[in-house]
Parts: sequence; structure tokens; C-alpha cells
Amino acid sequence: MFILNRNVGSFICRNCSKRAFHTSPILTTFWERDDKGGYRDESKLPQLKDRLREGLKELKHEVGLWSEELKERFENDPILTYRPGEVDVQWQFGTEDSLKKWLVTSDSDNNEGFSKSSLTLTKEGKGLFSGNLDMRIPKDGRVKRAGYCNMKTLRVRKSFKREAHIDWTAYNMLVMRVRGDGRSYLLNIHAKGYYDLTWNDMYHYVLFTRGGPYWQVARIPFSKFYFGSKGRIQDRQVSVPLDRVASFGITAGERYGGDFHLEIDYIGVEFDPNHREEFAYEMYRTAKGIASV
Amino acid sequence: MFLKKLLRYGSVFYKSKQCSVKHNFVRSIQISTERYEENKKDTKALVHKDSFENIENKNKNTYLEMVKIFINRDHVYRRGHVEFIYSALKNMEEFGVHKDLEVYKSLIDVLPKGKFVPTNIIQAEFMHYPKQQQCIIDLLEQMEDNGVMPDIEMEPLLLNIFGNRGFPVRRYWRMMYWMPKFKNLSPWPVPDPLPKDTFDLAKYAIERISSVDVNSVVTVYQSEDIPESIDKTWIVSAQSKSQRMLLGQHKLKDPIYVEGPFTIWIKGNPINYFILRGEPKPVIEEDKDPDDVSNLKVSLFSLKPPVAKHVKVIPSVHEQEDGVIFSVCATGTSSKDSLLSWIRHLEKDGFPNLGQVPVVFMLKSSTKEIINLDMDNTKEKIEKETGKIDDK
Repeated sequence: MFILNRNVGSFICRNCSKRAFHTSPILTTFWERDDKGGYRDESKLPQLKDRLREGLKELKHEVGLWSEELKERFENDPILTYRPGEVDVQWQFGTEDSLKKWLVTSDSDNNEGFSKSSLTLTKEGKGLFSGNLDMRIPKDGRVKRAGYCNMKTLRVRKSFKREAHIDWTAYNMLVMRVRGDGRSYLLNIHAKGYYDLTWNDMYHYVLFTRGGPYWQVARIPFSKFYFGSKGRIQDRQVSVPLDRVASFGITAGERYGGDFHLEIDYIGVEFDPNHREEFAYEMYRTAKGIASV
Repeated sequence: MFLKKLLRYGSVFYKSKQCSVKHNFVRSIQISTERYEENKKDTKALVHKDSFENIENKNKNTYLEMVKIFINRDHVYRRGHVEFIYSALKNMEEFGVHKDLEVYKSLIDVLPKGKFVPTNIIQAEFMHYPKQQQCIIDLLEQMEDNGVMPDIEMEPLLLNIFGNRGFPVRRYWRMMYWMPKFKNLSPWPVPDPLPKDTFDLAKYAIERISSVDVNSVVTVYQSEDIPESIDKTWIVSAQSKSQRMLLGQHKLKDPIYVEGPFTIWIKGNPINYFILRGEPKPVIEEDKDPDDVSNLKVSLFSLKPPVAKHVKVIPSVHEQEDGVIFSVCATGTSSKDSLLSWIRHLEKDGFPNLGQVPVVFMLKSSTKEIINLDMDNTKEKIEKETGKIDDK
């Protein structure tokens, strides 16, 4: 009798938890299940045998990286002075290999829109981020707005594929040499942390391009970057934690459809001693429970 | 059995006694006659499906009139605000009021004052009247998307409706903090609203491109001034002092290229422009160590100080890696003929030797027209002819 009861109970509970219809979006917990926000690639992994073979192939390279890291650690020769006016180039385009460091996505990849984009090399050997922004919304009743293309660097990693961060604490300027088409682009510094609360921490600023045949050097202080999460500006603002930079990205997300075209020569960082600003946005004290809710 | 039949058809019998049976399929069992009466006068529909679509003359006045009609419909129990506001938001662009702050304020004003203000801590914390709050949040978001900044009058309005802990009020505060910060961020500002005329847009575009050199002068030529021109249109051209110098130094036997059309976007409006380009200047990179003292020249017998040969003229901004840019232009028709008129105008304008220089037209896909923006934002068809046209 007892066993039967338990079975019946579990049966009822199972049915209860799965409500078939929701009139509003449900929020079961505050916990984030997935650091990709549900956009994880669900395709099947290759067989274990093949995976082992692939992994062993990479082992040599990873051990090489690891020994380099060890050597660097024992040499212990850090840069002590960062000379002002000198741009430390972080990502430069020119070779096919330079394109492999970047990941290009657009809303059509997830069937959430019709935009298309690509990152290629130009005749002169510069990076070209181009494509078409499409504002049309797919008629699936789920997507409310569409039209973005994005390029971001792959996650910084140490040897054996361990996740790492770039340390930009010695610098205070982002320097980019670009040639755009008059559109504005969004620059994203992803400062992903360990806990799920910090997985979507992103710092944004706008890159205005002049357009035309001339190259422009955009120097943007890190103090101007504002804090957002999942595309929403946050109430409690902080400056970019420059020791926690996980990746860098550029988004074409202007609310005007059409082709876009952004040539990039390099993206670097610079220390400018004349720039003293730490954070550009002033904060006000609000009543308890008003902000960040 | 009889009871079942009576239940099923009883109401019909009852109704048919009163009037002709028209609506008997609506509900088989009517509990009271009141509901039946309600069906007859169908004026209090909750969702206003076609009320905005059906209006013929769509402008701001008729839009505000619709809002007024809704407010005046029922003084005591006004219902269906949320549905009304959502349908009003959806039809804003057709009425041309999506950038009008006054209209947004009149829509918020539809909601009753004081009714949605939370009275205790639980209500305040758990989003009192959530549909109404979400509706106004969506309205504010639509304002933000259209670049409409709220003003100071909106705050008391929202405070009276939702109280000082309402989520729309918080969104309003956020907008008032961030929107002024981002409003004038662009280093190349354009007037808002943007002029519809292509000529003005082309002028903004050329001014924007030539802002790279402060000495640039934007000139407007008319192709009518060239007698042999076919297309009668305008040409917006920009050239700076250093560009004039570079063009003056250009050797006669080297070709110069007219390239285009390239696109520049002025706040969502694509403008085609063309460039007049020469071959890039060779870059001589002297890899010399300035601290090297192994080969010093001692000027014992010459009294003149040594002239530093390694001092070079800093190349101007127009000497790019992929060519020397002599001038930039946009024309009304973007046709080859109008570009030819541009070259003729430059020839008249201080470069008489330009006629002897071989000018190569490298037009990727010459478009007949820069995109025309009508009042309804309908883009006219752009005739395209592809092919590379070379011409002396």
C-alpha cells in the first residue's frame, strides 16, 4: 500500500510540475543553467574513439604551451614601464590565421532573424567585417526584434584549454584603426566571471565611424565603457575590470537595415598618462530597493 | 431525457418568445437575459482591433482624436486601457507620430490616476497591476527605440499613475539618466529630423567624409554649366588645400581613377559617393639606426652644417595606403555622365592640365539614383547596371 501511494504521489507531482500552458513567461529560478544562455550547440559529439584521437593530437601543442608558461613564470620578467603613446596591438589582421581568432555570428544563425555577416581579408590585407542587417522579424511569435551581426574573439585560454583572462590594467585606452561606412558599431568587452551572476557581464561603448575612403584611428578610453548585462544597461555602474577581460567583440546592430562594411587594421591598447578619468558616469544614491531591481 | 432537452433548448425557446432567434448559436444555455442584451449592442468591445486601421486620414490630429474618443467614451468605468495603448503603439508609424513626445504623453494619460498606486509593501514589491505596468514599460521602450527623450512633465504623470515605486517610473528615471548622455555622442552630428532631400543628405555625407581635413572646402557644381553634359544635376564635391597641391603635382602621363560608387550611411540613409584617386605613393622605409656612430662624417673642410637628408615631409592624410585621394564627390544621378561633368568642373576650377591626364572610370555598379526617401519611407527602385566601364 505504501509503495503504491508513493507511486501515485510521484505520478501526480510529475503531472503538476509540467504545466502545459503559461500565459506569461515563467521564471523558475534565478539560477542560470547555461553560460551560453540556451544557445549551446546541441549537435552530437563524435565517437569516443575519434575524440580520444583528436585529443591526443592536441596534447603535443598543449604541453608546448604549458612549458612556455612555466618558463615564463621562472624567468619572471614582467614589463615594468608602459611607455605613453605606444600602442600595444592585441589583434591585427593580415593573415588567414588572424581570422581564426574571431567568431562571427548573426541572428540568422539561431533562426531569429535574417541578417548575414562575414569576416574576410581585403585586397590590401585588412580585416573586413561586412554583411547585411535585416530588420525583418521571423513570424514565429517569439522573436520581438531582429537585426544584429557580431564578431568576437575566442575566449582567452591557457594551456590545456583552461580559461584565462587578459590583463589590461596597465592601459587606459582602446585604440582601433578602422575604416567604416558611417554607421556606428558597438564595442563589447566581455568580463565573464566565475559565478553565473557574472557570466553576462559586458561593457559597451559606441564606435562612430566617419565613412569615406580615409582610415581613422579611434581612441576610446576604458573609463567611458558602461556596464550592461544581456543587452540592458545596469543601474549600479562600475568601470571595466581590466584584469578580467575574457573576450572583445564588435556588434553591428544599428536600427537601420541594409549593408554594412567595416574594415579593421588593428585593435590595440595604449597607456595615456594625460587621461585621468576613472569612470565617466556619476552615480546617485537612490532609495532602498529602487535601483538594480 | 426531457430534462436534457429542456436544458439544451429551453433558453432558445425563451428567447424566441422575446424576439427573432438570431443569436441562438452563441451560447446554448443562457443563465440570464442580461447577457443576451449585452451581445446585441456590441459597442464595448475590449480589443480595438481595427479602430486605428480604419481611419482614412492618418495624421497627428486624427490620432489624438482617437485617444480623446477613448477617454470620453466612459467616464465611470473606463476599461481596456492596455489593449487600447498596445493597439495605439502598433499604429504609430502609419500616423507619423512615432517621434512625437506629446502623443506618447497623451497615451500615458489614458490610464487612471491613483488607481494603480500600491497601498502596502507587498503590492509595491510584487508589481502591482503588472499588465498595466508592463504596457507602459513597452511604451517607454518604443520611445527609446525611436529616439524620443521624455521630458520633465512625464515624471509627475507616471508618479500619479503608478506611485514612486512603480517600474515604469524607474524606467523613466533610467531613460532620463542615460539618454541625454548618449544623445549628442556622435562626433558627426546631423539635424533631427533629417531633411528628406537627397541633395542635403549628400552634402552632409561629403562634409562628413571631408572632415578628415579641416582645410576641406565643399563646393556644389551644376552639371548644366558644362555645355556637353547630358544629365542636368548637382555635384557636391570636396577638396582641401593639400589635395589641390597633390593634384597639381600629379604627373600627366600617370592615370587617375574615378572610383565608386561607395556607400556612406547618414543616419539610416545610404548615400553613394565617388573618389578621384591616384596611384599610391611608394613608401620608402629607411631602416637606419639613429644611434649608429660607425660612419660619422667629420665636417673639417666644409663650413656648412650637414643637411639632414633623412628629414621627410610628413605625408598628408590624403596619401592613403591604397591610393592618393584627390577629391570626393556625390552627384544627383550617380551616372557616368555626371562624373564626367565633375572632372570638367575640376578642370575649369584650377586644373587645366586635367584634360591631358588619362582618367579611368572604374564604376563597380553604377546606380542611376541615390535612394529617394519619400514621405512614406518607400524606397524607389534603383536601376542597376553592372560592369566596369573604362573611358579616356
